[in-house]
Amino acid sequence: MGIKINNQNTHNSSDEEMVLNIGPQHPSTHGVLRLKTITDGEIIKKITPYIGYLHRCFEKHCENLTYEQAIPFVDRCDYIGSMNNDFGYAIAVEKLMDIQVPEKVEYIRVIVAEMNRIASHLLAVGVFGLDVGAVTPFVYCFRDRERILDLFEMLCGARLLYNYIWVGGVSHDFPVGWVEKTYEFLDYFEPKIIETNDLLTYNKIFIERTADVGVIPPEVAISYGVTGPNLRGSGVKWDLRKNETYSIYDKFDFDIPIGTGAMGTIGDCWDRYYVRIRELEESLKIVRQALDQMPRQGDIYESMPKKIRPNAGHIYSRTESPRGDLGFYIESDGSATPSRLKLRSPAFTALSCMDEISKGWMLADMLTILGSLDIVLGEIDR
Amino acid sequence: MNYFLSIFQTISTLIIGMSVTLGHMLKIRKGNVTLQYPVERWPRPERDIGFSPDSYNVIRSRLTVDMDDCIGCLKCERACPVDCIKIETHKVEKGEDITEANHTGVTSNGTTKRLLLTRFDIDMSECCYCNLCTYPCPEECIFMVGGPNSTRHEIDYEFSEYDRNDMIYRFSKVPPDILQSYVQENK
Repeated sequence: MGIKINNQNTHNSSDEEMVLNIGPQHPSTHGVLRLKTITDGEIIKKITPYIGYLHRCFEKHCENLTYEQAIPFVDRCDYIGSMNNDFGYAIAVEKLMDIQVPEKVEYIRVIVAEMNRIASHLLAVGVFGLDVGAVTPFVYCFRDRERILDLFEMLCGARLLYNYIWVGGVSHDFPVGWVEKTYEFLDYFEPKIIETNDLLTYNKIFIERTADVGVIPPEVAISYGVTGPNLRGSGVKWDLRKNETYSIYDKFDFDIPIGTGAMGTIGDCWDRYYVRIRELEESLKIVRQALDQMPRQGDIYESMPKKIRPNAGHIYSRTESPRGDLGFYIESDGSATPSRLKLRSPAFTALSCMDEISKGWMLADMLTILGSLDIVLGEIDR
Repeated sequence: MNYFLSIFQTISTLIIGMSVTLGHMLKIRKGNVTLQYPVERWPRPERDIGFSPDSYNVIRSRLTVDMDDCIGCLKCERACPVDCIKIETHKVEKGEDITEANHTGVTSNGTTKRLLLTRFDIDMSECCYCNLCTYPCPEECIFMVGGPNSTRHEIDYEFSEYDRNDMIYRFSKVPPDILQSYVQENK
């Protein structure tokens, strides 16, 4: 268990402080992120995250792209959960244009988005294990993630950056045999969660490294705008799929897992990790129900507009991505390109509370905390 | 007491974890997922999406253009979000074959061509594999390898080059010496 030392007990002399730069090229920072840490011995006094190394000018660039052309760039924001990003973007533009998509398209979108959520959480769980020193679960998680990527490759031809969910529809229908293969995957994957639990979740060494470490109290999480599994890990029951139902999520029966402090305090790293594991099960439930209920016949191109030219106006819509509350603000002046597009990134807010929660912890615990937040730098820098 | 309990829990959970890995080690032949890449390859996923006599391939690889079918409508160039397609055209007699420039007057769909394509370059090092250029094509002549014409082309994932210029694919069939005369005529 990490040792938290209060600042009052340490020396006041600033001579003993040291500035340590972690990153930009450091495997534990999950991308190109520089953390300027001021340390006293091994204890962290202050962390300043320096972001922007992966800045690609996404928002400004979108002002020069048509609404269809922006989708590949939306994909590349959160490159772990591309389907969810496309989903959020498509919903925002559809709200702006008052498009009602057919039921079959809604089901297809929910299925692929939840499959992508599983893939994203598998990466988060595996890499978190890697951060605290458990290498084996990472390989096991990637083995299962690979199966989802294979399914997506069969579906739309790409493995990571799909460009599959379009405004008003999707690019293809499910290929022949895809549904059966997905059922096969669901049956295969269910016991693998138990395997991950045996390997990592209830491992005593892992619990000692993560329980009670990096506690985000619920009020701190809310004040920083932390969303998604990080917020739910702090015991706040907030999920846009239930609280602000979009698409057809009201048709499915699923729970919102929250952190309970089973191994330590509510809102510690273990809770955030375990919320993700539980969400894997919930996503599996949703995919199974959606596959069962999905209408097999239907035209998926029915509501797809020939030209995307929304009327002048603006819209803010948010959806639940694997990392949390993903918002799109789009301002249209009636032309084929948005006059302003803003992305509200959940990973950005998660990183912003880094300084608050890692003060007083050891350096090794800081990397545990960073891993438990599950940030994607592509989305933070945009 | 707590100290000994911790030691006991550590050892017992370690044994549980080890038994999982041991189980995988024992059935390594059956459940092997790692492939020795250059020698063995993962099979490409089934690709029948069900509305074409031949399996309609959606796998994204290199872009290919059937120049005999291209009418120079520039729709793919406009759809490209990264502007990696560059097309230049030259007006010619409608529907006439120009043999010295390898130009056919009529496409396989029966559309007459009024433009000679003096340049059709795709920079595959810029391409982001979004597949947006293939959808608007009226003659279905540009495709990420596969597409409805997948029987005519092979899927290839490995097309790295030593020189960046080799990644620019030039599809125009006009021979360079004749091209010169057209360029001068345009000026």
